[in-house]
Amino acid sequence: MSANNELVQLHSIMDVLKSIDVGLVILDQHYDVHLWNGFMESHSGLSPEEATGRSLFTLFPEIPEDWFISKAEPVFQLKSQAFTIWEQRPYLVKFKNNRPITGRSEFMYQNTSIIPIESPSPDVSFVCLVIYDVSDIAVGKQDLMLVNDELAELGRTDALTQLFNRGHWEKILEAEFEREKRYNNEATLIMLDIDHFKNVNDTYGHQAGDDVIRTLSSIIRQTARKSDICGRYGGEEFGIILPETPVDQAEIFAERLRKKVEAAVIPADNHELQITISSGLASFDPSFEDHTQWLEASDKALYQSKENGRNQYTLYKPQS
Amino acid sequence: MSTPVLICDDSSFARKQMARALPSEWDVEVSFACDGLEGLEMIRAGKGDVVFLDLTMPNLDGYGVLETIQKENLNAMVIVVSGDIQPDAQARVQKLGAMDFIKKPIDQEKAVSILEKFGLL
Amino acid sequence: MTNQLITEDQRDCYQELSNVAMGQAADRLAQLLEAYIILPIPKINIIAPCDLHMALSGVDSEDKASSVCQGFIGSGIAGEALLIFNDTSFSDLASLMKYKGELDDQTQLELLMDVSSVLIGACIQGIGSQIDVSFSQSHPVVLGQHVSVANILQDEHTHWDQSLTVEIHYTIENMSVDCELLLLFTEDSIAKLNQRIDYLLD
Repeated sequence: MSANNELVQLHSIMDVLKSIDVGLVILDQHYDVHLWNGFMESHSGLSPEEATGRSLFTLFPEIPEDWFISKAEPVFQLKSQAFTIWEQRPYLVKFKNNRPITGRSEFMYQNTSIIPIESPSPDVSFVCLVIYDVSDIAVGKQDLMLVNDELAELGRTDALTQLFNRGHWEKILEAEFEREKRYNNEATLIMLDIDHFKNVNDTYGHQAGDDVIRTLSSIIRQTARKSDICGRYGGEEFGIILPETPVDQAEIFAERLRKKVEAAVIPADNHELQITISSGLASFDPSFEDHTQWLEASDKALYQSKENGRNQYTLYKPQS
Repeated sequence: MSTPVLICDDSSFARKQMARALPSEWDVEVSFACDGLEGLEMIRAGKGDVVFLDLTMPNLDGYGVLETIQKENLNAMVIVVSGDIQPDAQARVQKLGAMDFIKKPIDQEKAVSILEKFGLL
Repeated sequence: MTNQLITEDQRDCYQELSNVAMGQAADRLAQLLEAYIILPIPKINIIAPCDLHMALSGVDSEDKASSVCQGFIGSGIAGEALLIFNDTSFSDLASLMKYKGELDDQTQLELLMDVSSVLIGACIQGIGSQIDVSFSQSHPVVLGQHVSVANILQDEHTHWDQSLTVEIHYTIENMSVDCELLLLFTEDSIAKLNQRIDYLLD
């Protein structure tokens, strides 16, 4: 290649270095900068003259020195390539987003490569740090993960009450049942529903009915403990699983809930309504063959509460 | 009188490479074995005064061969030629009586320097 | 599962190349972890996408695993390296790497990246140096953390028919560290690979 051609090539390479959309920094074994391209200049505000000869760690104190050296040393020693990805560290160097107005993240997410460079002499070693802007990819992936989480939640939650929907709650009941069976634990199941709910709907309308259900769910959630599992079982029927709870404690819980609901004044579509609930309690019994029997027991007790005048709880007593 | 040399490796490609790495001026009779069991048979039959031994082989690996040679006090000078070059591996074979360890891929230069080192050339 | 794409001699040669490369990778890992790596005989196969799970014979598809993949290319030979870590490996690995603190997802990711860069990089460079190819690697991508292996290998989006695979199952002595490295060379690459090794086989 003639000297002229070589010169043209060199100029072209320099042009590319200036305008290319990745950061290029050549470092020696002391991590001092030997090359600083246009991307680095634009984002850091430091010109090549200001950056060259200075330590990378002085220029960017946000880079954890030990961590970076542990990634770069194998590149110097073994001539292998090293990589960091945004998932392990959002950025190596704190640059603002390339799109300061529409960019969704404040800072630039970065993937980096550290690659070995052929050196002219054996006692001198260089590596090249390549910095890629992956902000869009990172934000996109995070969005996707959020959406997936939301979808999963939707599949499990009842929209109106924000309690578990029937399908999911029953699955949990099944699992809970197996657990009690295996470990011989104490647990109590409460099934409850709203007394004379049909009247509420007929007299005040479905909007009011919805408000009532929503408020009741709220009260249930507030009264329940973190370990209790509440779900909307039917239109106005609810189920609460109380794990590790012997029946006498469950009775205290049921009574507390009943009192709270009785005392509540519920704003419903321009009216103020009051409701009561009936509930049935059934303790886990190892003689139950599966979770449906446990449900039935609780339901039977609930029915008893209705028969006995409503606004009360009944404890399931197995027929001897 | 030619020296009986055994090349013991499960890979035919590796055996070929080893054979090609032996210096041509060396007066030898080369035999091949494709696993540790076959290798031991040939050593017992006097075909392996010098053995180039791989470590990772099926049926009986290189370590097994070295142990047996020690136990039965067989006449064999073993040079381990292996891809498994961990510091621990090298230490282990030395303990088991191997004379030396060559990292694969083998070439003539390495082979010659080892043989000269042990006065075999 | 090898068919007419490669001959028996070539297959044997690939096995030996992989053996040497994985030995180099294990050496680096052994020094990094100060542990003894148990090296199996690498398995060479030609497989179709639907058989990918079979290429991972050392991994139970129901196990929870975390995995990283990285593409590589050089002299017209291209492929992907897939590293699958059984989730049970992490606590032992962390203690070997002298990581302190809680072993949360972030730490596991850091571990995954460190070990995969040693294993994948060394293996690919090891093979490259034997066939005189300089491979350049693309950025590692995390395929999943704590997902079942079956989910990692969803084959609906494949646009390939055959791949030359190298399967290496690394375990560490006295530890419950279990990781599977799978190198997949594209169908187009096989002819070029064969050319390179035929040169060695002569």
